[in-house]
Amino acid sequence: MKDDAIAVATPLVRTGTQDLLCGLARVDLWGRLGWLEVKRRYRRTAIGPFWSSISLALFVVTLGVVGAGLWNQNLAEYLPYLTSGMVVWVMISTTISEACMLYVSTGNLFRHMQFDFSLLAYALVWRNFIVLLHHLAVYAVLVLLLAPHVIGLPLLLIVPGMALLMINGVWLSLLLGMSCLRFRDIQQVTMSVVQVAMFVTPIFWPIDQLQGTSRMVFVQLNPLHHFVQIVRAPLLGNVPDLENYVVILLVTVIGWALTFVIFGRFRRRIAYWS
Amino acid sequence: MSVMLLENLHVEFPIYGAQRSLRKTFFMRATGGLIGPGTEKHRLVVKALDGVSLRLESGDRLALIGHNGAGKSTLLKVMAGVYEPTAGRVLASGKITSLFDVMPGLDWEDTGYENIITAGLLLGMEREEIEAKILDIEQFSELGEYLSLPVRTYSAGMMTRLGFAVATAVDPGILLIDEGIGAGDSRFADRAARRMREFIDRSKILVFASHNEDMIKAWCNKGALFAAGKLMQLGEVEDVLAAYQAAAHNGTA
Repeated sequence: MKDDAIAVATPLVRTGTQDLLCGLARVDLWGRLGWLEVKRRYRRTAIGPFWSSISLALFVVTLGVVGAGLWNQNLAEYLPYLTSGMVVWVMISTTISEACMLYVSTGNLFRHMQFDFSLLAYALVWRNFIVLLHHLAVYAVLVLLLAPHVIGLPLLLIVPGMALLMINGVWLSLLLGMSCLRFRDIQQVTMSVVQVAMFVTPIFWPIDQLQGTSRMVFVQLNPLHHFVQIVRAPLLGNVPDLENYVVILLVTVIGWALTFVIFGRFRRRIAYWS
Repeated sequence: MSVMLLENLHVEFPIYGAQRSLRKTFFMRATGGLIGPGTEKHRLVVKALDGVSLRLESGDRLALIGHNGAGKSTLLKVMAGVYEPTAGRVLASGKITSLFDVMPGLDWEDTGYENIITAGLLLGMEREEIEAKILDIEQFSELGEYLSLPVRTYSAGMMTRLGFAVATAVDPGILLIDEGIGAGDSRFADRAARRMREFIDRSKILVFASHNEDMIKAWCNKGALFAAGKLMQLGEVEDVLAAYQAAAHNGTA
């Protein structure tokens, strides 16, 4: 009889796949962790989450006026362009910078029991999606005031656009989270790269301002540009190019394949590294 | 019926210090390990567990006994599934409940109620299950209106009461307890002791790491003596405690 119990005893191990799936299934937990984090940020402030919207509004309006002058743009066209680009950029850059701290600062969550490490990545992406929605409100106001004509059918394409952003956010968070936990230098490198990337990716400046090789490097070969574009183009009433989707599909497949292998192999070391 | 089997467990913690940086690892790889003591074999490690095998069945109440650094807490964490052993394996049937540090996921800005739910989810409960236990937690912790306030407004004793109430509200299967579960003021301590007793009685298997002999004698029927990551002796709790003391007096363990 005792040996029956032993026969049903299962090894206390978890594979990367189990972690990814069980983590995803615990929507109650990652949904809550993500939501509470947003809530905490605005606790004890009078207007709460709108600070996020207001600071973005302040940023794009001031920069919009300067930028429109610098690049001889019409403000009614430039401001929606800048704002829609910034909305996506903030999502990308915050996801990346927070991903570096994914496992460095969350030891008290996973040092109690067998833990699905992926759920922290889901929580991170979910939280940044909530912030993205706040920022979209700013865009909605601006566009209704300045250029209501851009709202059309292509707008529906922001749904797959945002979905692709989030799907890629998860693997990137896992990969960066693990790498930064093991090698603390990577966080510093990443932060520097993200900072520079904001200026070399076409967000502030119109794409057509750049020609030749530079355009090739900073626009066509820059995956960040394509990620911005799949959400920005629909917001501006355009359909993204096929090229955008092809690049993103490639990034998604390669990124997930790489993460899957690394996560599967090193997931069990996360507790040791922290 | 619950069971837990440990088969020849080894746990080694790598020590990352200066060599933690990417640069050094990169250069070590690049130089093929010829320069510097950088290869995997030479990496500094701490052997926390060294070939531990154990078999636990329903009704076992095991005390882990040994000096600081003997491997007691590491073993509990391996049993909980926090650390996957470097070699060997853990087999278990039945739910595992750990009580290491009173409130997992505690956030000082969140209210008592919010923390109860987060901790409950992290302890593996369903939302409905937690909601059903809130009344019990409210009554036991006696925190009343404070539960709606951020936890940072609590005194240390109130914090302990909340953590204790939540931790002992779960339905334990294989229960793992690390020492130092505080209990607050003396009036509360009595109630806590009773609740703890009840909590332990509900568990199938108990593994308890402690230096407190009274608690060990009250809760456990078996003892396991550890020294430097090795299991030295396994047997009746009194025998093992006696052996530990004898060794302590001789200064050998």
